[in-house]
Amino acid sequence: MTDEYIRLEHISKDFGQTTVLKDLCAVLQKGEILGFLGPSGAGKTTTIKILTGQLEPTGGDAYILGTHIKNIDETIYEQIGIVTDHCGAYERLTVYDNLRYFARILQVNPGRIDKLLERIGLYEHRKKPAGKLSKGQAQRLVLARAVLHKPKVLFLDEPTSGLDPSTAQSIHKLLMELREEGMAIFLTTHNMEEAARLCDHVALLNDGQIVEYGTPEELCLRYNQDKRYRILLSDSSKLMLGQTPKDVEHLSRLLLEDQISTLHSCEPTLESVFLTVTGRSLQ
Amino acid sequence: MKTIHKHKLAAVLEMKWRGLFSKNFIIMPLTSIGITFVMLLLYQSIAKGQGHVLTDYLRAMALGVGATMNITMTGILCTAMSLAEEKEKHTLRALMTSSVNGLEFFLGSVVPVVFLMTLVNGLLILVSGLSLSLSSWAAWIGVSLLCAVASAVLGMVLGICTRDQMSASTFSTIPMLFLAVVPSFGAFNAGLKRISDFLFTGVLANTAHVLVEDSPVLPLPGLAVIIGEILLAAALFLWVYRRNGYDAGAA
Repeated sequence: MTDEYIRLEHISKDFGQTTVLKDLCAVLQKGEILGFLGPSGAGKTTTIKILTGQLEPTGGDAYILGTHIKNIDETIYEQIGIVTDHCGAYERLTVYDNLRYFARILQVNPGRIDKLLERIGLYEHRKKPAGKLSKGQAQRLVLARAVLHKPKVLFLDEPTSGLDPSTAQSIHKLLMELREEGMAIFLTTHNMEEAARLCDHVALLNDGQIVEYGTPEELCLRYNQDKRYRILLSDSSKLMLGQTPKDVEHLSRLLLEDQISTLHSCEPTLESVFLTVTGRSLQ
Repeated sequence: MKTIHKHKLAAVLEMKWRGLFSKNFIIMPLTSIGITFVMLLLYQSIAKGQGHVLTDYLRAMALGVGATMNITMTGILCTAMSLAEEKEKHTLRALMTSSVNGLEFFLGSVVPVVFLMTLVNGLLILVSGLSLSLSSWAAWIGVSLLCAVASAVLGMVLGICTRDQMSASTFSTIPMLFLAVVPSFGAFNAGLKRISDFLFTGVLANTAHVLVEDSPVLPLPGLAVIIGEILLAAALFLWVYRRNGYDAGAA
């Protein structure tokens, strides 16, 4: 098998008269994180459902782990993991028993459960019923279940939505480790900071259409047309300079005179790129 | 036809079996045992008031009421609510996206409930105090097993059509009451008796009476009713399942 784990070719999806996905094309390689970035209703979850065989596309072709999605059955789930809003835990079972149940289904050595619980910071809660976990802990349990069988591809639908920054950070850390181990991660989010931090490639999705595609850096630089520099001077005053000959001369003088405390380039963020391309906000 | 993976089926079976012993579900078979006991006390009191003793016929009546309650409450309500709970808590989606197929989930859901219902119906013989021959025991267990299958499949249909435990409970009430009450009152009303003869629960209640006859013979039309209703429930299940899998209620 090649290192290309997911390929979307001109995927479209209609629900009755409403078109929710239009001509989507994207590729996800082994050991890479691909982010689908867009506001609610942009078609992110629908894309995941199509790729995981839960929904049929209206048009186009998609491949997962080299198999056309028309030819996949439930055994594909032995090689992929899914975390969505619609993945819950058995509330009456303990954290450990929740994972043990899925370990039996997926034929995973039970010894891996404790290691995984330690890794995601739930080991001390292993005997606690899942219904008594906080939202962040429950999300980590769902994530642990999704990676229990070391899947080749992990689908994450808004994995840190509504979580506190510290839990979100611990999930980000785990995702980066999993990527290092070779797992391909398909991530949907409307959190541009998350996308910029984690993703190797991002697709900006608006009204079911990919309006931009590339690495976060590429996209930000592509829209960095009005170059500006934010400067903090040694006398604590702030200054914003552009790329005009006059401003460049001013900047050179400040540098020569050692008057600059901090100097930052002001390239756009993914959020401002999205706003520029679509005219709408991500939230 | 889907492949059945033994390890996945075993995992679902164990999970569902454990689930039956949660307080929400175990109350149903326990209630059936309690109702049989209460009916026995009631008939004993009536018989004593008229200067008689508790006959096998009255014991069979109490058995019929308890067994019918068990088959309807445990079979329909436990199965429907268990499936609805999986949908409500989003564990069904987690299971289905963990490589468990529809057939494995169906068998894993139905088999433990059927086993429990049959076991409880066996216990009800002991509670009723009837003394049966081995062949009568086998006949009772056989008919109970078939009725349990019909009831559990019907419960799966209701579970598919509902999206949470509350709606599963509400929608199950009417068929459950119909299947339980009609055979119970069939003894007092000829019209209800005629309807009861065409219900698997009615056949079960009749079987309780047949067992105490001098030379018990299971009526073949009764068995045909049960098998016909199993096939009907299975066809209904397949029709609903093919619409949108186990999530039809959420569509």
